[in-house]
Amino acid sequence: MRRLVWRLGAVVAALAAAGAVAAAEFPDKPVQLIVPYGAGGSTDLLARAVAQVAPRYFSQPLVVVNKPGGGAIPGRLDVTRAKADGYTLLFGYGSGEDLVVPHQRQIPYDVFKDFETVARISIHSIVIAVPAESPYKSLADLAKAGKEKGSLTAAVSTKGAAVDITFLLFGKAAGIKVVTIPGSGGADAVTRLIGGHADFGGGHPSEVIPHIKAGRLRALGVALEKRDGTLPNVPTCKEQGYDVVTAGSVKGIAAPKGTPREVVAALESRFQKIAADPEFHRIMADLSQPVDFMTAAQYRPWLEAASAQYAGLIKTLGVETK
Amino acid sequence: MFDLAGLAQGFGIAFTSVNLLWAFIGALLGTAVGVLPGLGPAATIALLLPVSMKMGSPVTAIILMSGIFYGAMYGGSTTSILLNIPGEAASVVTCMDGHQMARKGRAGAALGIAAIGSFVAGTVGVIGLSAVAPPLASFALRFGPPEYFSLTVVGLLLATYLAGDQPLRGFIMAVLGLILGCIGLDPLSGAVRFAFGVPDLMSNLDFVTLAMGLFGVGEILVSLEEGSAASILTTTVKNVFPTLADLARSGWAMVRGSVIGFFVGILPGGGAVLSSLVSYAVEKRVSKHPEEFGQGAIEGVAGPEAANNSAASASFIPLLTLGIPGNASTAMIFAALLIHGVTPGPFLIKEHPDVFWGVVASMYIGNVMLLVLNLPLVGMWAKLLKVPYAFLAPMIMVLTLVGVFSVGNSVFDIWVMLALGVLGYLARKLAFDLGPLLLAFVLGPIMERSLRQSLLMSGGRPGIFLARPISATLLAAAALFLAFGAWSGRRRRRQAAPA
Repeated sequence: MRRLVWRLGAVVAALAAAGAVAAAEFPDKPVQLIVPYGAGGSTDLLARAVAQVAPRYFSQPLVVVNKPGGGAIPGRLDVTRAKADGYTLLFGYGSGEDLVVPHQRQIPYDVFKDFETVARISIHSIVIAVPAESPYKSLADLAKAGKEKGSLTAAVSTKGAAVDITFLLFGKAAGIKVVTIPGSGGADAVTRLIGGHADFGGGHPSEVIPHIKAGRLRALGVALEKRDGTLPNVPTCKEQGYDVVTAGSVKGIAAPKGTPREVVAALESRFQKIAADPEFHRIMADLSQPVDFMTAAQYRPWLEAASAQYAGLIKTLGVETK
Repeated sequence: MFDLAGLAQGFGIAFTSVNLLWAFIGALLGTAVGVLPGLGPAATIALLLPVSMKMGSPVTAIILMSGIFYGAMYGGSTTSILLNIPGEAASVVTCMDGHQMARKGRAGAALGIAAIGSFVAGTVGVIGLSAVAPPLASFALRFGPPEYFSLTVVGLLLATYLAGDQPLRGFIMAVLGLILGCIGLDPLSGAVRFAFGVPDLMSNLDFVTLAMGLFGVGEILVSLEEGSAASILTTTVKNVFPTLADLARSGWAMVRGSVIGFFVGILPGGGAVLSSLVSYAVEKRVSKHPEEFGQGAIEGVAGPEAANNSAASASFIPLLTLGIPGNASTAMIFAALLIHGVTPGPFLIKEHPDVFWGVVASMYIGNVMLLVLNLPLVGMWAKLLKVPYAFLAPMIMVLTLVGVFSVGNSVFDIWVMLALGVLGYLARKLAFDLGPLLLAFVLGPIMERSLRQSLLMSGGRPGIFLARPISATLLAAAALFLAFGAWSGRRRRRQAAPA
């Protein structure tokens, strides 16, 4: 049995090492990307896409470590407590847990004071969609149906999260009552929508695009300021006359507070190169995730504004959780 | 309905040397991952995702990954039987009778029947996958919240069967399971329940952690107290392979397990864990010797081990035909397909017949490989029990600690497991059956979520459960179960009274 353990370990180690090449300086040991979500989710896939291209720009491998559970809070807490040397990074900084949750309940760290912002890699916008056989072809159809039926049901991943807030905001903008039905995550919400167990729903492009391509869902609108790069043919809500603009779920990178400035700068410039890499763009296109890079100096104020916007929305929509 | 030309094309692809090699590596890795507690197939597939990007063909990558997934279902039973630690979440129920068989010197028979049951069910599952995939997948989509709720009502009634002739004790354990399932985020509002301000408790308890504590650690505590005299090692390991009588007893259990696993596996959110629990409950119910369950009944190994394998094959149906991954492992395979530019969904069979049929054909081959791989290992594993318990017990402890840590990279989970170990010990000492607790723990959150979702859908009107045909049928079945149970219970009492 023990020999088997060793052999398995050796196989995994050999496979992990394949692909790492040399280039010297800052990282003189592997850098851990802490993903506070499970393997296979959109943030995890994004982190793995970054790690895949990284050997061209990092002398040491980037290792994706999943720390799921606890509403994605313990994984973040671990990063704040890690040594501030640039070898432990939070991947997914700017997600709902950073922008939305702190306005709803106590969390054991400060989203802004306990992290150094490194860079933004991608934005996961929020798409409003209906099942393909649904009669609604636009947000106006949906709003009209809501007025006729009295209320509409919407499948969402979790209560009070970015998608939930965005759908409620649509209800407010359209002057209809929207009853959001939360479940056990993004994939579950999309499955319920495809099965016709809600009037509308949606989620991030990576979750809905495979089903749009397969002819099971129809996208009606994107809740961004501008159109989403992965869905160029889908108009924004704003274009259709509904003021529904949210930051969605943002995927950035952060280091523990106190990480030396030159280390943060070294990381930032390497992630910038990764974000410009053609192979990275190809992988991201396959994952239906847009590349939307920002430097630390751009990302930090952007994040603070997004957080303030969500705080306002939570208050006006009344989606506080206890 | 059987597309023989497609299947033939698939075998043509699967029988190339590269694909045979990767199918074998997948099956081997899967067996190893299944044997090792903690590290599950989903995490292993995630580790191999970068490697798969380097593979030229998506077929080869998916052959490897699916091999790991169903291979883990074979390997998972090994530590359940030998050490009472589930190697994999879907093998938790196998602890209950598999380990008792091992204690009676029948480890070989238990391991053998688990491998044979896995083979039979794996093959049944793949045949189902190749014959009826698309229509069944669309049927599964009609399972919305009300259908899931009614399904869990039937499931919880099965929990009472698990309790056998001790309904009150079973009821207590089921309630305990429901309570443990409530810890963490409220499934709908996201509010935190019973976490007492501890961030690590803000997620639900992990099923593997729970099972390793209750079974693995609990077992060690009991053995420590009873001394090594009571341990498995004093018995000699005889009959490495199952006897004909064993096979005769477990044949129908395998068939039932395969069918149950297939249908539960198709449902998004169903899967291997639930199917094995349901199969165990059904076997206990239909058995002529329900009193043997928990004491080493071979049907209690054959049924669930068959169910988890056929569920694993069946979960490829929603993945490949609808693009809906029903569990963590198929979610990883889904991601791998996307990375290779293949969109899983209704057009996959038409646009990429090589992927669909190649993978399906490799699953037929992989199941044969796994049987050939696992049967000779049975003798070797059974010998492990000859290791003196003084050495074995610390080794089990280390394995469970490492295993639990590897699930979530969290030290806190280790403490949770140790605390649950004490609970497992108490349950054993006081003769409480752990089955109802497990089933309730798995079903409770699904039940609560689907009940509240349904009522949100209907605007608070409970009529929705009867207005939808599938849901109404399930509830009628539940009512019949109850009526039959009450009737047979009264008849038994009446017969017992005059005597």
